Amino acid sequence: MTLQQIAEKIGLKPLCALDMLSKEVSSGYVSDLLSDVMANAKAGDLWVTMQTHQNIVAVASLKEIVGIIIIGGREPDRQTLLKAEAEKIPLLLSELPAFEVVGRLYQMGISGKR
Amino acid sequence: MQDLSLHILDIVENSLTAGAKKVEIRIGEDISQDRLTIEIIDDGQGMDAEMQAKALDPFFTTKTTRRVGLGLPLFKETCEICQGHFLLESHPGKGTKIKAIFPYAHIDRKPLGNLGETLLALIVGHPDVDIYYEHKRDGIKFSLDTKEIRAILEDVPLNDPGVVSFLRTYIFSQLAELGLDKEYII
Repeated sequence: MTLQQIAEKIGLKPLCALDMLSKEVSSGYVSDLLSDVMANAKAGDLWVTMQTHQNIVAVASLKEIVGIIIIGGREPDRQTLLKAEAEKIPLLLSELPAFEVVGRLYQMGISGKR
Repeated sequence: MQDLSLHILDIVENSLTAGAKKVEIRIGEDISQDRLTIEIIDDGQGMDAEMQAKALDPFFTTKTTRRVGLGLPLFKETCEICQGHFLLESHPGKGTKIKAIFPYAHIDRKPLGNLGETLLALIVGHPDVDIYYEHKRDGIKFSLDTKEIRAILEDVPLNDPGVVSFLRTYIFSQLAELGLDKEYII
């Protein structure tokens, strides 16, 4: 399933790196502690977080994460947007809380298996 | 709490609840030494040793036995999650000093957030309290003392719309001098 399809299905608002939305995703990770994401997320994951600071883009880039879903109606900082565009990491905004987002992703076949 | 400015807001509100008439907020960004220091010093009623232990224990609660909320334990956790140090020093009748030292570049250190808006909110919300704000960033310093500003304004309150507008422009331009833009989130 592509990021674009996921975004349409659960109503995410893609904000940047729109040309990367055709990427395929089959796994995900959810955490708000950046060191935990660095230690435990894997390449190709879709990452669900409430963090909005530009460090999330640095971590995503380092771990080759394909996209970041920012939950709870939070808006990313301006620097985060600029970095995400530069690093080609799509940011997808959701009004839903994390539990709902992750539940819907799981129903769509996105797994969290390590 | 998403950033450190919100912790600062929370801790200063504690100080005011404790009857502080003067609050100092000192921010030190020593990037070359990989150190961020936040100090909040008040002249509130202070706490004895027993009260200090209670203030830091998140489980010792109920609002009747606890004057402050979860502000201190949460700030301490924010500090320790990135290998920082948290110090609480308090003397009954004199006041309380909180010092948090963070490794500047640690990946789990929360960003500072919008300190300009935080400072403005405190001044506007508590125009009669003396708020001293000092922000040092790699050798450059910005400081603001509402006591001095109040003396110049004489009878005009600090939360007068014209004064707030001036303060907003002044604070953000001074923070810009330190290299922090309006949406500064480091």
